[in-house]
Parts: sequence; C-alpha cells; structure tokens
Amino acid sequence: MTSRMADNTEPSVRSTILDEIHRIAALHNKQLAPLTDALPLMESGLDSLCVAVLVASLDDALELDPFAEDENLAFPVTLGDFIQLYENAAA
Amino acid sequence: MRNIIVTGGSRGLGLGIAERLATDGFQVIAIARSQTEVFDAAAQRVKAAGRGALQFHAADLADIEAIPALVKAIRKEFGALYGLVNNAGLGTGGLLSGMNDAAMAQLLRLNIHSPIALTKYVTRTMMTQKGGRIVNISSIVASNGFNALSVYSATKAALVGFTKSLARELGPLEITVNAVAPGFVDTELTSGLGEAGYDKIVRRSALRRMAEVEDVGSAVAFLFSDGARNITGTVVTVDAGNTA
Repeated sequence: MTSRMADNTEPSVRSTILDEIHRIAALHNKQLAPLTDALPLMESGLDSLCVAVLVASLDDALELDPFAEDENLAFPVTLGDFIQLYENAAA
Repeated sequence: MRNIIVTGGSRGLGLGIAERLATDGFQVIAIARSQTEVFDAAAQRVKAAGRGALQFHAADLADIEAIPALVKAIRKEFGALYGLVNNAGLGTGGLLSGMNDAAMAQLLRLNIHSPIALTKYVTRTMMTQKGGRIVNISSIVASNGFNALSVYSATKAALVGFTKSLARELGPLEITVNAVAPGFVDTELTSGLGEAGYDKIVRRSALRRMAEVEDVGSAVAFLFSDGARNITGTVVTVDAGNTA
C-alpha cells in the first residue's frame, strides 16, 4: 500500500503506480529498467505474472480496475499508456 | 485466524467441508443462497469447540456479474482471504438427448463459469499477499464415465483442467491449486440414485462402502494443512476405491 505524502494529500495515480512497480519488483527479485513513459511494459523487468500482480494491487490501492470495466480494452504497450489508462479511469 | 471461503457451504458436502476447516481453526465463510438449520447447528458446534469460526454470507453464485462486488464485500467484512473451496454446483442428470437446453446452460454456468470467475477475484487478493490455497471439488465422473451424467461430468472434468493450469500460473506466488474428486458420497445429490444404484456403487468399491462427507472434509483439510505446502496441481480421489 502506498503511503500518503508529507502534506497529507492523496498520492497521485502516477506515483502510486510507480511505487507499486518498485514494490512488486523488489518482492519478486526483478531488476527494473529506468521507468520512462516510452518504456514498453514487457521490457520493464516485470514479467506477465508481475504485471497481473500489479493490476491486482492497483485494484486495492486505487480501487480501480480499468480492464474489468471495459472488456474491449487492449492492454497498453508502454508504461505511459498504462499510467494514462489509470489516470483516465480515476478522472 | 485465516479466512477460507467455501461455496455451497450451507448443507451437504460443502457444509461438511466448512465445518471441518472451521474445527481445524480457520474462519470459514460459507456462501450459499440461504442459511439452513443444519448450518446454524454446525456453527454452534464450531463455536463450542472454541477454535475456528463458521460464518455465513448469502449470495447467488449464478449471478456472475455480482461476483467482483461479492469478493470485495467479504474482504471488507472478514479481512484478507487465505483460501477458497469451490464446492457449489448442480448435480443435474439425464440423458443428453433429452436434456433441457436451459438446464444445460445453468449447469455449465454454475459448475464452471461461476467458480472460475470467483477464483479470478479471490486469487487477485491472494496475489497481493503472496500466498493462498484453492481447492476445487471435482468428481470421479470427471475421469470415469457414468450413465446419464455426461454434462455434469464435463463440468467436473473442466475443473480438473482449470486446477492443473492454474497451479502452474500461481505457483510462483506460493498459491497452491488442487482438486478433490469424491466418489458417490451420501448427500442430497446422490439421494436420487435409489437403493439399486446405491448397492451397485457399494459393490464396485474396493472397500465395499461409500465414501462419507467426513472423508472428503479430511482430504480438503489436509490440502489446507502445512503438510500439503508442496502439493499443487493434483487431484485427490476420495471414493472408497470405487475407481481403483
């Protein structure tokens, strides 16, 4: 679970996602590539199971599951697309 | 106390499994459409034993669209989930040529689609905590034919395939997935066999008797024990040697 920021405001969707990626990578002993928006998710260092864990943990942390809400949704390719998808769902 | 969901846990085999797990010290959340007197009596026995707990949560598992909200509600009420026993199912029989199409669809929905959907949402919670156990209740008819149970058999065989592949998928997350295949157990589902059918099953069993609900409960309890930590993707047959 992502901790709140020092000024007690809710963490952003982006920071929550990045925190979760780092947490899951550490938990599963995965070496992460530098996380940029252009980075393809499958080249991030997370395998498909870790990405599934990420989606499940974001459902807990953000109470959002864009994939369950739109069954025609194509899985995003890059990290930037992934974050955008969650930011749109949160809006 | 670790939480385990047992579907169809208000009577018959499901209640036997739920009571055994609760007696072993788990908090069992039995899901069924309605609470029964036999469930209340079992919950009292568990309470008197003073270890685990037997809780009830009403839901219609045929309502698959409601399953995500159901899992969320259970997590909110009881906390993190450690285990799931997919036991609920219909035992509809009949010759295939004469089976009602709507009855077939309902059988497939409740015996296959519903447990798979429930497992999806329960395992998502297990994935984030890296650990858990799933037991799917199959049947010996998944691998041995029985007249007039072709559709039911297909649903039970489906659960075995589901079990084996999901075990591979979730193994890296310390989640085990196994199936238990009871033979003909003396419950409401087998009461329609009649005396002749009952005698035939007993005659064909190596131990010359039918397995009982308690035997199935013991097998499931073993799969939830520390001793089963390295067992995944397998099928435990409990049939008094009927298929030996």
